Amino acid sequence: MPRPSKKRLTSAFNQSGVTAGISNRTLTRRLLSLAWRFRMGCLRVLMLQLVLLTLGLSGLSLTGVAIDFLYAQVMPGARAPHWPFGWSPPARWSPMLVLLALAVGVFGLALARGVLNYLFTVKSTRLVETDVVAALRADVYAKLQRLSFRFFDANASGTIINRVTGDTRAIGNFIQQVLLQGVITALSLIVYLVYMLSIHPWLTVACLATTPLLWWTSLIFSRQVHPAYLRNRDLVDDMILKLAETVQGIQVVKGFAREPEEIARFAAANRAVRDQQQNIFWKVSLFTPTVSFFTQVNLTVLLLYGGWLVIHDQLALGTGLVVLAGLLQQFSGQVANMAGLANTAQQSLAGAQRVFEVLDAPVEIQNRPAPRRVPRARGAVQCEHVSFAYERDEPVLEDIHCDIAAGQCVAILGATGAGKSTLLSLVPRFYDPTRGCVRVDSVDVRELDLDDLRRNIGLVFQESFLFSNTVAANIAFGHPDASREQIERAAQIAAADEFIREMPGGYDAVLREGGANLSGGQRQRLAIARAVLVDPPILLLDDPTAAVDPHTEQEILGAIENAMRGRTTFMVTHRLSTLQRANLVLVLDHGRIVQMGTPQELMNRPGLYRQTAELQFAAGRGM
Amino acid sequence: MSAKAVPVTRLIRDEDYEADKRPLSLALLTRLFAFTRPHARKRNWLLFTVVLRALQLPALAWAIGATINGPIAHRDTRGVLGAGLGFLGLAVFTLVTFHFRQRLALELGEAVVHDLRNTLFRHFLRMPMSYFNRTKLGRIISRFTSDIEAVRAGVQDVLFVSLVQGGQLIVATALMAWYDWVMFLVVLGLAPLVWLINRFFRRRLSVAYRVVQESWSRITATIAESVSGIRVTQGFVRQEVNAGFFTELVTDHSKYNLGVARTSGIFLPLLELNTQFFMAALVVLGGYRVLSPTTHVPVGTIVQFFFLANLFFDPIRVIGNQYNQALAAMAGAERVFKVLDTVPDWEDAPDAGALPVVRGRVEFRHVVFGYVKGRSALHDISFVAEPGQTVALVGHTGSGKSSIVNLISKFYLPDSGTVLIDGTDVRRIRSDSLHRQMGMVSQQNFLFTGTIMDNIRVGRPSATDEEVVAAVRQLGFLDLIGALPAGLATKAGERGAGLSLGQRQLICFARAFIADPRILILDEATSSVDAMTEARIQESLLKLLKGRTSFVVAHRLSTIRQADLILVLDHGRIVERGTHEQLVAADGVYAGLHRQFVDTASHIIR
Repeated sequence: MPRPSKKRLTSAFNQSGVTAGISNRTLTRRLLSLAWRFRMGCLRVLMLQLVLLTLGLSGLSLTGVAIDFLYAQVMPGARAPHWPFGWSPPARWSPMLVLLALAVGVFGLALARGVLNYLFTVKSTRLVETDVVAALRADVYAKLQRLSFRFFDANASGTIINRVTGDTRAIGNFIQQVLLQGVITALSLIVYLVYMLSIHPWLTVACLATTPLLWWTSLIFSRQVHPAYLRNRDLVDDMILKLAETVQGIQVVKGFAREPEEIARFAAANRAVRDQQQNIFWKVSLFTPTVSFFTQVNLTVLLLYGGWLVIHDQLALGTGLVVLAGLLQQFSGQVANMAGLANTAQQSLAGAQRVFEVLDAPVEIQNRPAPRRVPRARGAVQCEHVSFAYERDEPVLEDIHCDIAAGQCVAILGATGAGKSTLLSLVPRFYDPTRGCVRVDSVDVRELDLDDLRRNIGLVFQESFLFSNTVAANIAFGHPDASREQIERAAQIAAADEFIREMPGGYDAVLREGGANLSGGQRQRLAIARAVLVDPPILLLDDPTAAVDPHTEQEILGAIENAMRGRTTFMVTHRLSTLQRANLVLVLDHGRIVQMGTPQELMNRPGLYRQTAELQFAAGRGM
Repeated sequence: MSAKAVPVTRLIRDEDYEADKRPLSLALLTRLFAFTRPHARKRNWLLFTVVLRALQLPALAWAIGATINGPIAHRDTRGVLGAGLGFLGLAVFTLVTFHFRQRLALELGEAVVHDLRNTLFRHFLRMPMSYFNRTKLGRIISRFTSDIEAVRAGVQDVLFVSLVQGGQLIVATALMAWYDWVMFLVVLGLAPLVWLINRFFRRRLSVAYRVVQESWSRITATIAESVSGIRVTQGFVRQEVNAGFFTELVTDHSKYNLGVARTSGIFLPLLELNTQFFMAALVVLGGYRVLSPTTHVPVGTIVQFFFLANLFFDPIRVIGNQYNQALAAMAGAERVFKVLDTVPDWEDAPDAGALPVVRGRVEFRHVVFGYVKGRSALHDISFVAEPGQTVALVGHTGSGKSSIVNLISKFYLPDSGTVLIDGTDVRRIRSDSLHRQMGMVSQQNFLFTGTIMDNIRVGRPSATDEEVVAAVRQLGFLDLIGALPAGLATKAGERGAGLSLGQRQLICFARAFIADPRILILDEATSSVDAMTEARIQESLLKLLKGRTSFVVAHRLSTIRQADLILVLDHGRIVERGTHEQLVAADGVYAGLHRQFVDTASHIIR
């Protein structure tokens, strides 16, 4: 309801200690413990990968054996091949039969790898997408739905949406790309290394001598480029903002003939994006060739030193030289991968923090243990010395005291920031008072079952939010099982039935985002129907005619009058025509009730009410 | 959830759906290629490095095989040294080429995209107001983001990567054919198979991705509305129902993701299996040809094939991938070009001239106008506003008040009849010269990101700080601005702290005031502000209107009463005209409206 400035509330939210930065170590520990819950799944995926690696190496070495075997057949002086797995072909086999066996081996291994690879992909996707990300998303969303308004006041809607979408994805990435991939990369490096060492230890060392350099280069690169990418994203955002503003303010731009200025503004932002990219381009196109350069150096060392070893019969040509050449090409890629992990980890941590923030945020407004159930209240509302502050030391309401009998209509008048909306939002417990208490039917609202309390209250806001759903679903929002009859009756009370029937599709017409295909007056009447459908004994109207022109106001006022019948109604309004319909008017100023009485009484006393009335009369607002 | 959960939101896709792919088209390609023309030097160097690299990559692979087969197999130590160093030299040369190939491609892509964005932006600003009324902001933004990115990928990667890979494929093919044509035939026989597998699975994958994409849009749309509507949700106790529905959505989404994983889980291993099948064939067939006494194939050939095989199979996969990107780039390019091809509904006539200093006489002669063909918003409107007069436009929503204002500001042109400024038909006046002498306060009170000072200066960019302060003082709300945390330097706009509606309106007044226009158009905000601010607004409004020809879409009796001419509109026609006194005396529509108001007011005052 009230929308105080974001800036102020962000700090208020921080004070509650929820968003105060969680250290990276704590975060990592939490992520690990989250992963631990899925340890069996992780283990299965890792085991699969280990088998895959071994199979791959076996296939490669079989090809090497085949080459050595051929050399041994053709060149009588060549080394005999080294047969793997302690198997060697029986002497009676013809050379062609041996080759065929090797080929079958290569293909068979590849086939097995294919099947296992499929299993690996499916299992790891299920683990990350279903078990982790989907479950997290459902949890975060469910929590968001219950979080108190302070959270929504303090955070821009874009970042809240991102918590459910991008940030949960980041946690998935942590498990998939950092944890699993990290272990897999480490595992394959170890397996490669062991295999290479088993072929020829010194040759391996010589070939991998550049690895620390490669590692270091990759690290430096990702440290340099990552912030540059982040900066670029900001610049692009800035450019798009300029575009969006030009379009949104096109009337101003065209009206003042400011096209040349806007073109220059956009071109500058566009240029900034381009110029900043040049730096990134340089770094990227230095880095990628450098990584390949290390591979090529390793290959050169292999050719020189390995060649010398082959010549001196200390290394087999196929299983040694050819296989090593194949392995080296993969090794560098894996090392470069490892170096990039740090960045992914960093990003995941940032996302994880925002997810945990939501999951940890206390739900301020909750049921007490054993709350009192109220199927249907009578509708009497009392405020007992109520004070409220969004932020300590900045009271918004002070010592509000009033007693409203069931069925009365109360109008609330006051300047912007006087605390009108805030007062309304205390009744359905969107916030709890800092001092004093609000009672419904003489019971402190904090004693009541929260859902019951809210079901007893109907709400219409300044600008009512409608969902992009059917008209019927929007009216039945508070009671999804309502029959079509009930829905139509609510619409009739709100004077909305007629225009709904005129819409193509009638009650099943789907509204556009925010009800954009309706006029302001129609939107408000739907909102009134939505409130009336639940047949609440208490009705809260937060300046429902504020955003419509005076002619439309008349339509809405008629609907309101119908809706109010038999309910306790609180209505915030500035408009004289509305104020005079109330049984009681509360005049708020800086959070205090400065005047209270019937419209007639207040008209006869000097004060804000009479001042407003006279001013509006003089101004003639409402033509 | 046992029963089917109740949806929070539904997506309407019909008009929002945009294809993410489009077949290759030569016309689009040449048009896109034309954008590289200003950067021809860069582009030509890039093409040169591409050709170089297509030769270098097979040469490198060949060099390894040749070293092993030659000096190493022949136990020539000196030769090994020479070959090894030769290999290193070639490698360095290749990498230097690679650096330029990559950097030039990235730079060219960005340069093209940069030019395109500027061209697009300029083109959008040429569009008349009607275009912005029917085009969603999201659409315009996606032209600049996703579509342009697809084009960038097309320019940066598709063309040049494909060329490198294609060249590499051809050279590798030639080398293999030269070494042993029988084994080469095996490779060649596998090639169509790889291609077919590629096509088949890519098609299935793109279908699977689309399903994922659609379920994703449902998710984001639902979250977005749930966040905006959180007050409604909690107020109507819908948390549980919504959470149940959302859980179904994300579960479905993860199922679709699993579907993608299943397809790609078959696809990628299948491609790999092809390469391995070739290796197995190489061992058998190659072995047979080496061992057979009649063929004289050296063992080294098998080693060469071992290294060259990847140079053959990889490009098929990579090009398949690039092909998909190319289709996306086509779709992006088509949409971007479609915008550039959109002809504005109208533009200033070529013979339209600049307007001399305006006196401010505005005349409508039998003006008929409609936003949609066949449905007129204004019928036969005629009136004259003399320089310095205030004209109040009164009537219900949809009666034609805004249309009149839109025609005076030449945001739209009349269907028939003429609008004259100082006796000149607006059709003969250049829009910018008209707008420079006109001030505008629109109903939405739009502020740009930036300080209040910046926003006021939009009215006249050359205004000094002192002039801005003077304007605010003259309008009489310097104290209100002074009370803000940073005064005139307070940030406004989307990212700034929330200014109240009344404050925003006053800033818009100052923006129009500093332009010191001869003609002023003012659409009074309908939203109510509190009584004190209302008083301030009335006060500055009078100062703003003074001495200019003003058109006010009015909701305040105080404004209307002071007008020199009141036009009462109904269904696009002027039903009454005159001053307040005249109209009240005439006892018509206006008098009725006025009486109704006075009755209510006096009832309260009594």
